[in-house]
Amino acid sequence: MGQFVQFAINGLMAGAIYALIAVGIVSVYKATKVVNFAHGYLIMFGAYFYFTFAVIVPGQPWAPGWLASWQPGWMVEMRGDLPMFSPVAAVLDWVANLPRILLGLAGALVCNAILGRVIERVLMRPLMGQSIFAMIMVTVGLISILSGAAQLIWTADAASVPYIAPNMPIRFELFGTMIFLFGTDLVNMVVALLLFGGIVAFVKFTKGGIAIRATAEDQSTAYSMGISVPKVFSRAWVLASTTGAIAGAILATRNGISPSLGLFGFSVLAIVLMGGLDSYVGVLIAAMVVGVLEAMTQWQMGGGWAEIVPYVTVLVVLIWRPHGLMGQKEVERI
Amino acid sequence: MINANLKSSYAADERVLNNRYKQAFVYGSILALVLFTLFGNDYLILIASQMGILLIAVVGINILTGYTGLVSLGHGAFVAIGAYAVTIFGNLGAGVIPAGLMPFVSVPLAVALAAAVGVLVGLPSLRVKGLYLAVATLAANFIVIFLIEEDLFAPWTGGMVGINTNVPNLLGWELDTKREMFGLIAVVGLVSLLAAQNLIRTRVGRAFIAIRDRDYSAEILGISLLRYKLMSFALSAAYCGLAGALFAYFYARILPEQFELALSLNLVAALIIGGMGRTMGPVFGVIIVVMVPELIKVLFGALAGDSAGAGQLRAPLQQIAFGVLLVLFLLKESLGINQIVDRILRAANRWPFARG
Repeated sequence: MGQFVQFAINGLMAGAIYALIAVGIVSVYKATKVVNFAHGYLIMFGAYFYFTFAVIVPGQPWAPGWLASWQPGWMVEMRGDLPMFSPVAAVLDWVANLPRILLGLAGALVCNAILGRVIERVLMRPLMGQSIFAMIMVTVGLISILSGAAQLIWTADAASVPYIAPNMPIRFELFGTMIFLFGTDLVNMVVALLLFGGIVAFVKFTKGGIAIRATAEDQSTAYSMGISVPKVFSRAWVLASTTGAIAGAILATRNGISPSLGLFGFSVLAIVLMGGLDSYVGVLIAAMVVGVLEAMTQWQMGGGWAEIVPYVTVLVVLIWRPHGLMGQKEVERI
Repeated sequence: MINANLKSSYAADERVLNNRYKQAFVYGSILALVLFTLFGNDYLILIASQMGILLIAVVGINILTGYTGLVSLGHGAFVAIGAYAVTIFGNLGAGVIPAGLMPFVSVPLAVALAAAVGVLVGLPSLRVKGLYLAVATLAANFIVIFLIEEDLFAPWTGGMVGINTNVPNLLGWELDTKREMFGLIAVVGLVSLLAAQNLIRTRVGRAFIAIRDRDYSAEILGISLLRYKLMSFALSAAYCGLAGALFAYFYARILPEQFELALSLNLVAALIIGGMGRTMGPVFGVIIVVMVPELIKVLFGALAGDSAGAGQLRAPLQQIAFGVLLVLFLLKESLGINQIVDRILRAANRWPFARG
């Protein structure tokens, strides 16, 4: 039982990150009716930007010393009389890294926002009103461009990055088994869920969000009501790429940085379809379910089988409910 | 270029090559292929064989995506099934069936297996369309490759490290050089291209096109969506299985990673670049998709030499070029090279009068 809880918690933490990635795909779909197959590669770029600003830039000779490792006097003093592996030491490590973590996150957000905007401007806007097939295939072409570009810019080797939260181990007993968690995973989950909630609230309550929903409902009516549809498009892409940047930074700390990060996009795409393309709630449920199922598979059948859990579940769900758990059925006129 | 067809008998109306230009083109290409097989240099034979194998698979995708209008991003899986099935059947039947007859048994079995899995993967196509189908087939691709890599089946599939393939033996004739293999690939490729062209003129082909244009209207006209959608999936999977079987015969060893998503995307990209729903589309597309990375390799070799650094740059550049090509064709010429060729032929035909 205790082990079950351990794996369920692991699953929920993974699910929260899936949800954060999925929110980018859903937002773009809601506003522009384009399903972004290359979203995973946007996330990979976010991860690489985080790596650039949190590891490469502070490591340069011209960068000030406090950027790489911030060691004010009071911290050295505190550190002096601490036992090994104390939680306080983990927090202190994090504080020392804080300048470069913040720089990394800020850099990733800004660069990814620019990237998302450029993609929308150059590739997506000329296709407004074209067939869905063409738009999907453009994002498929984007996969090659982005993954090639990443390998060209950063070369293909994996590297490690600083955690975005203090990484102290948390241990407690439940049903007679030790439950073992990392602080940073917990914070990642909270950040992911807060962002998810924030975006849902944004789309629900703000003026910009209502514009997105109106465009989703009917593009030409939205246009005639004075909503600038191209602006909505670029806003949705920027939203997707900035959430992608955060998700990328989190994934980079969990899995290390490598071009294979892009593959996350495909399993998340499966999750999005499972939840229903235009339903935030459905996607959140699907992400959590897949996260937990993956963790359970990992527990019972080994890590390899966990890889295909999203794909098997999406096939089952699509045959059972063709438009996902909570997706809207499209009405087609002949 | 043809402006009108005069047909004076039903026999003339039924011919596949219904005018002199088509006849001249097909017979001319056959002659060129024969000469090329006999005298082409080894490097070109290798490239042409890659094109031929890919061509058969793209012709299959063309039936599904170009003519029936169903998107698949998972056909690499069927190529994998064909390649692995022909090898595994070959190994299992090694003592039982005489070596000279083996390809005549194992290739049809492999093609049939690919078609059967195609029907299975096509089942969601009855309920979901467009994007949902693209993701369903993508999921199927991941699952098939995963099963091939899985330890459970490793005694047969070789798992992650791949498996050595057999040399095909047609009635005692061992095709152990690349040149002989190219001969086989050229014959099979040409036959499959003509067969696909013929299919489109039949009742089945017309049903496919009706489904592509509007599936509900087709159903109202009495076309069984269940039957024809699954048939389209089975046919295209069979073509891909055949390509896979040739792939296994051509290379000494096959690895699961050769059939991953990249191959599926390559197939669809070749179709889009060449021109969807056109007979010659796959041919043009395959030439571009194989030649462009090869040209980049040659150019890079000339500019930077064979240093390790240059090699590291080359692969990403090839990837970027591929993506840029796909995007450019979608944005600027969504009907593919076939459309460009048509335009040139039309202009040539009307010369010296206005183009149009």
